[in-house]
Amino acid sequence: MRETVKLISMDGFEFVIDREAAMVSQTIRSMLTSPGGFSESKDGVVTFPDISTTILEKICQYFYWSLQYSRGKETEFHIEPELTLELMMAANYLHT
Amino acid sequence: MTMLRSREISSASGKPRPKRQSSDIIQPSTPARKQEPGAHSLDGSSPPTNTFRRRSPCLESLNGFTDKEVSISVCSKRKSNVGERFLSLRSGKKVAKRCDGIEASGSEIDTRKSDVDLGSEGKKVCVDLVEEETNIVSKELDNSGDNALVRRIVNEEKGKTVMDEVEDSCQVKDVEMKCVEGCEKLSSSVSRRKYTREEKAKGIQVVNLSPPITRVGVEEMEIDNSIDIQNPPEASVTESAVNDALNQNGNGSRNQHFRDFAEKNASRFARFDAEMEEEEELSDEEVEQQVEDWPGPFSTAMKIMKDREENTILHDGIPFSSDIERTSPIIWAPRRSDSFTSPPRAPSLQELSMRVLVKNADAITSLDYVPDALRVKLCQLLCDSRRMDVHFLDLLVRGSPTGICVPDCSWLTEEQFTQCFNNCDTSNLMVLQLDQCGRCMPDYVLPSTLARSPKNLPMLSSLSLSGACRLSDVGLRALVSVAPAITSINLSQCSLLTSSSIDMLSDSLGSVLRELYLNECQSIDLNLILTALKKFEKLEVLSLVDLPSVRGRLLREFVTARGEALKQLILTYSVKLTDSSVKDISENCPNLSVLDLANVCKLTDCSLGYLANGCQALEKLIFCRNSFSDEAVAAFVETSGGSLVELSLNNVKKVGHNTALALAKLSEKLQILDVSWCRDMSDNALGYIVDSCSSLKVLKVFGCTQITDAFVRGHSNPNVKILGLKMDPFLDQLTKNLADS
Repeated sequence: MRETVKLISMDGFEFVIDREAAMVSQTIRSMLTSPGGFSESKDGVVTFPDISTTILEKICQYFYWSLQYSRGKETEFHIEPELTLELMMAANYLHT
Repeated sequence: MTMLRSREISSASGKPRPKRQSSDIIQPSTPARKQEPGAHSLDGSSPPTNTFRRRSPCLESLNGFTDKEVSISVCSKRKSNVGERFLSLRSGKKVAKRCDGIEASGSEIDTRKSDVDLGSEGKKVCVDLVEEETNIVSKELDNSGDNALVRRIVNEEKGKTVMDEVEDSCQVKDVEMKCVEGCEKLSSSVSRRKYTREEKAKGIQVVNLSPPITRVGVEEMEIDNSIDIQNPPEASVTESAVNDALNQNGNGSRNQHFRDFAEKNASRFARFDAEMEEEEELSDEEVEQQVEDWPGPFSTAMKIMKDREENTILHDGIPFSSDIERTSPIIWAPRRSDSFTSPPRAPSLQELSMRVLVKNADAITSLDYVPDALRVKLCQLLCDSRRMDVHFLDLLVRGSPTGICVPDCSWLTEEQFTQCFNNCDTSNLMVLQLDQCGRCMPDYVLPSTLARSPKNLPMLSSLSLSGACRLSDVGLRALVSVAPAITSINLSQCSLLTSSSIDMLSDSLGSVLRELYLNECQSIDLNLILTALKKFEKLEVLSLVDLPSVRGRLLREFVTARGEALKQLILTYSVKLTDSSVKDISENCPNLSVLDLANVCKLTDCSLGYLANGCQALEKLIFCRNSFSDEAVAAFVETSGGSLVELSLNNVKKVGHNTALALAKLSEKLQILDVSWCRDMSDNALGYIVDSCSSLKVLKVFGCTQITDAFVRGHSNPNVKILGLKMDPFLDQLTKNLADS
């Protein structure tokens, strides 16, 4: 079991985050855990050609915020308004 | 007390009587008053889970009736030691609150029933008087064992019961008066009436008059068209006579005068539809006979349960909750450990971003690439927070959208609508929902906007115009003529549409239409659209909420013709339907998956029997205020409740531990359960259900005051949401499909 996974945005930026954080997204969770020998589950690398770098960064921040929230630390997650539309669509895709 | 409407006469006292009286004073006629639904209901109005609004009674007055003054006279006789109170009904009638020990078929006041109590000497008579098309069920629960008689009279129209007596005992009197033995007890301060029982076995309707008869005009009484209340001259004559008589005499001869008056006036109420009456009675008799003959799984299950019940201890035939606890076979221990608390779930990123979007909706410049599902959700949130405006509608309409769903268009004006849809490219539009568009959609805007060219809406398959109260037959025709592929059409609350619209629909869409919603379309008479309805070859969903013309015979004709394909049948508030209708449905609709029989108050346990034997594929079953017994519901769940995903037993009062056991045993698929107002459901029962139904997501317990923390904190189901306790917020749960949220 790898401890970290790598998420790659459309521009090629790579975000290395904890496996637990990435599993907040149902889509990523099923990619990483589905049987069938997919490269994602073997290498721990997932590419998102439709998601821009800023959005993917925000999504990773959300993952960590969500983990914090469930551990009891309930803070506010601020979203810049100009990102919101794209963020919503990406979140919809990622089931998060 | 039963109430009769009669002509208004000036009261001796000249002042309007207060609605509530103390128990010693006889109840005079009630001033008619428009009351909000549920204002004085016994157990509170139905919880917000009832998705269909009730029209206020004042809108229901029929043609030509508003000018007539119909008065109600109410008189009740009570024992001073009986703790009775009167409650005022929405329609202005008085209802004597039931006393302990009386079980009447459980209907609440805002379903236009009144409970009438004639108490005397330990005999308690409970009469439910229902307005016009509803039942009069009277049960006499007699402690002295004299007349334990339960009687049901199908009452098609108002005043029917009196007619019933008339036709049964026409040789005797016009009005049958019920004599309860020992009711001679007249206290001097209370003027009571002595009733003679003409025929003991038949006494149901009682004519009561109070000495100073105060009649008040009732404008909102719902009276069927066929009732002819045009006897002002007759009434005034009799009234003056009565008035004189009343004013003259004291207690002793008062009874005689009451009786005379009643005799004179009863014939005014003797109107009814002879055919309907006979037919309904016949079918009811058939029904009752036939159920007995079935040795099916349902009746077996019922029998087992009844035997089990008989072996347990019961008080006076009525198990109280404490007894249920004692005798209940349910063993459920709330979990001990406090460490099992579900971790707080962070709101999803999608939700968070939507919230921000809703707040800044005016800053959105484009909705390109946003999938339809998200557009719909955004729209819903915007409409809920009243931030929906033309700007966003423009964004929705831009381009060549596939779906435009605005659940609340009440903010939209005609000009804005015209501007928006003038140039909208609707060639790919598949879903159009403009609910509550009454303000913006009169007939004349359509030809320049949505109906501006033939085939303007070629791909439109789902059209919802609920609340389009300015849309008439002409406008709808224009719209439908440009949209030949509609498979689902929602015309709820379009009060101007008549049967010719349905004829038009059946002509243009007869071969494609699958879903038809005609909720609360006041001007549509089921009689006239029956032929048209039968022309829809593929109709799967039919929703006829609150249409007074829905009758057993008509429904039978329709389901015999088209029942095979029917998947959803919504018949909320179709109060005229009886068990025979459910029999027809169960025999002809084997593929039925959604059935809504809320507020169809005449149904009895037989209906459950029919459903159990007929409709095996039911997934969503909605009951509300139906008087089913615990054993019957349990037997139904056991025999064919295995596929249930959503079950509502809202206000099905007698539901208790048997049902709980059955539900827990057989409902793995159950996701939504509504047991609001079912006060016999103990903590144990609910805990057992919740812990056993692994898929349960929502449990509604509005009005269940018997639930304690033992259940709320003690159940071990991490997924279930309990709605309806204390002041927990629930408005965000009122979505169309709760299971999807």
